[in-house]
Amino acid sequence: MADEIREAKLNVIGNLDSYVKMTMESIESTGGKAYLAKTVADAQEILKKIVGTGKKIVMAKSNVAHEIDTINTLESSGNSVSETDLGAYLIQLSRDESSHIVFPSLHMTREEIGRMLHKELGLQISETSTTEEIVAAVRQLLRKKYMEADIGISGANAISADTGSVVLVENEGNIRIDTVLPPVHIIITGIDKIVPTLNDAMKEAMVQSAYAGLYPPTYLNVTSGPSSTADIELRRVSPATGPKEVHVILLDNGRMEASLDESMKEALLCIKCGRCYFSCPVYRVLGKDWGKQPYGGPTGAMWTAIVNRDYATAEYCTHSGGCREVCPMKINIPKVLEYIKWENIHTH
Amino acid sequence: MKEERNEEPHKSESLMFRQLESIRNVMMDSLMKNYVPFPIDRSVCSAWTDTLKKGGDTIIYTSFMYQLSSLFRAYEKHLSTFARMGGSSKLASLGKFFIKPDKDDLRRGYRILSNISNILQKNGIDHGYLYDDEPYSGGLLLELGMLDQFWEYGSRVLELMKQHGVERVITVDPHTTNAMIRLKEHFNSDLEVSNYLTLIQKYSGNGQYVFHDPCLYTRYNTIGNRIREIASTAGVEFVEDRMVTSRDIGTCCGGPLGPVNMDLSDRIAKYRAEKLLSLAQNVMVACPLCYQNLKPYVSNLKDMAEVIG
Repeated sequence: MADEIREAKLNVIGNLDSYVKMTMESIESTGGKAYLAKTVADAQEILKKIVGTGKKIVMAKSNVAHEIDTINTLESSGNSVSETDLGAYLIQLSRDESSHIVFPSLHMTREEIGRMLHKELGLQISETSTTEEIVAAVRQLLRKKYMEADIGISGANAISADTGSVVLVENEGNIRIDTVLPPVHIIITGIDKIVPTLNDAMKEAMVQSAYAGLYPPTYLNVTSGPSSTADIELRRVSPATGPKEVHVILLDNGRMEASLDESMKEALLCIKCGRCYFSCPVYRVLGKDWGKQPYGGPTGAMWTAIVNRDYATAEYCTHSGGCREVCPMKINIPKVLEYIKWENIHTH
Repeated sequence: MKEERNEEPHKSESLMFRQLESIRNVMMDSLMKNYVPFPIDRSVCSAWTDTLKKGGDTIIYTSFMYQLSSLFRAYEKHLSTFARMGGSSKLASLGKFFIKPDKDDLRRGYRILSNISNILQKNGIDHGYLYDDEPYSGGLLLELGMLDQFWEYGSRVLELMKQHGVERVITVDPHTTNAMIRLKEHFNSDLEVSNYLTLIQKYSGNGQYVFHDPCLYTRYNTIGNRIREIASTAGVEFVEDRMVTSRDIGTCCGGPLGPVNMDLSDRIAKYRAEKLLSLAQNVMVACPLCYQNLKPYVSNLKDMAEVIG
C-alpha cells in the first residue's frame, strides 16, 4: 500500500500546479471554500479574514498550522485558541516546543506533566497522578471547550484532488469533534498533501497510522465540504447538523519550488509519520533541539530547508541511514540531506 | 523513548560553515598536490608491510584509514579553533607540525592491516599494494557533501589507479568502500571495488561480542549480513537486540559529525556506547573511525580484523 502511495504522490509532485487547481475546484464543488497561500504571511492573512475576532477556537494538532504560527496569529487578533490533541495541548500549556511530529510532548515525563497541569490550570493533578488520571482530567476540560467553540481548525493527512475530500486519522477523538461540532471548520494544510483520488487519501492515512505506531487507528475522518442532507425529497441542502462552513487553506511556502527540484522533490513524499525520528542518532541525542519548529528529526532536516529556508540543520546528518530503512515512502533522506549540504558548500 | 533534556547544542552557523570551508580548502589543496588529506609523512602510512609486491592488477587499498584514524580525530578536534583563528592558511601551515598519529593507534593499525592482508592471502587472493603512491579516497569530502570537490579529486584517484594498472581495489574499511563505489557509479568506471569481507571464505575466531555495525556497511553497501555470517562461521558469538543492533534501529557512532560539531559527535558516541554496553562488555567494530569515536567510552573494544584471522 505504501508503494502505491509513493507512486500516486510522485505523480502529483510532477504536476503539482495542475493538481492544486484540480483540488481547489473539487473543494469548491463540495460547497467548501479553497484558498491558495503562497507564503506564511498570505496564509495568516487569509486565516485572520475567515476567523475575524472574538472567537473561541479549538484546534486539532496540525504541523502546517504551526508552520504558519496559527495560535499567535489568531490570539493577537483577539481570539482564544486551544489545542485539543493531548500532546499539543501540553506543549501549549507549558509554552514549550514540540519534540516529535506525531508525539509532540514525547520529551515530557508523566511527573512533569502532572506538576505542570497543577500549576497552570489548578487541576487536582500532581506528579504522583497516574496517566489515566491525567488523561481523564484533561478530557473534562477539553469537552467543555468543544461545546463553547465557534471554530474548529484541523490539518489534513491527505486531500484528494478528485473529490476535494480531506482525510484525517486519529485516536483521541479530538479531530472528529473539532471538525464536526463547531459551526465553522478551517483546514490548514500543505499542497504536498494532495493525492489524486479519495481512495489514495484513505490509503495514505492508513499507512501514516501504521507507521506512526498506533494501528488500527481509532478514527478515520473524511470531510468533503460542509455538512449536508438529502433526506427531504432527495434534494441535497447544506448545512445539516455539522459545520455550515468549510474553508481549506492550501499552503505552498517552498513546496512548489521543491517539487521542481529533482533532488528535493523526494522530501515532498513524506507523510509525516515520524518513524524516522527513532532511527536517527542525532535526534536521539538532541531531540527537539535539532531542527526548527514544527519539523524535527531526519524528515525535519529536509523540511526545515523547504519551509524555513534553514539549510544548516542538514549539516548534522551523520548518514546513519536508519531513516531510509524505515521510511514507508522509501525516501532516501540521507541523499536529500547530502544534496542540501552540497548546496550549503556552494553558497558559503 | 526518554532521553535527558538537552541544552542548546548548536554552535553558531557561521562558525560551522567557516570550519567546513577551512576543511574544504585545506583538504583540497593537500589532495590535489599530494593525494593525502593533510600534510603527513607517507612512509608512516606504508610501513605496515614491506613484503607485498608493489602495485599489480589487484591491490589492497587502505586509503590511510587504519593508519591515521587517530589523526583524523585530532585534526577534527582542532578545526573549530583554527576556524576561529581565521582560516585555512594557518591550518595548512600548522598541520604538519601539530598533529601526529598516536603511536599505539598506529601500531594497532599496522597489525590490523597485516592481518587483513594475511587473511586475503590465506584465502588465495593475491594482491599488491601501492605503498607511497597510494592516494586517499576523498571519502571525507563526500561525507561532508562537498560533491564538486569529491568528483574533481575522485577523477584523479581513478586516473592514478589506471596509471598503476590497477583493475581491482580491495577495500578494508566502510568509508573507502563507500567512496569508491560512489566514484565508480558516478564515472561509470571499470575499476572493480571489493571489500575484503566479501572475498574471504576461510577464517577463524572466538569470543562473544556486541557488534556495532558501521552505517556504510550495513545500511548502504549491505555488508552487514556478511559480517554476521563470518562471525557465525568463525565461531564468534554476537549478542543481538533489535533495539540496539538491528539494521533499522541501530545507529551511527557519531564519527561523521566530528568535522561539523565535535561535541555532538562525542555525545552520540557516548549514547551509542551506553546502548552497546547494555548488551555486552566486549564490543566489536569494523571501522577505524567507529573505533576512535567509541574508544573513550568502551574499554574492551576490538576491530573485526583483530578477532578473526
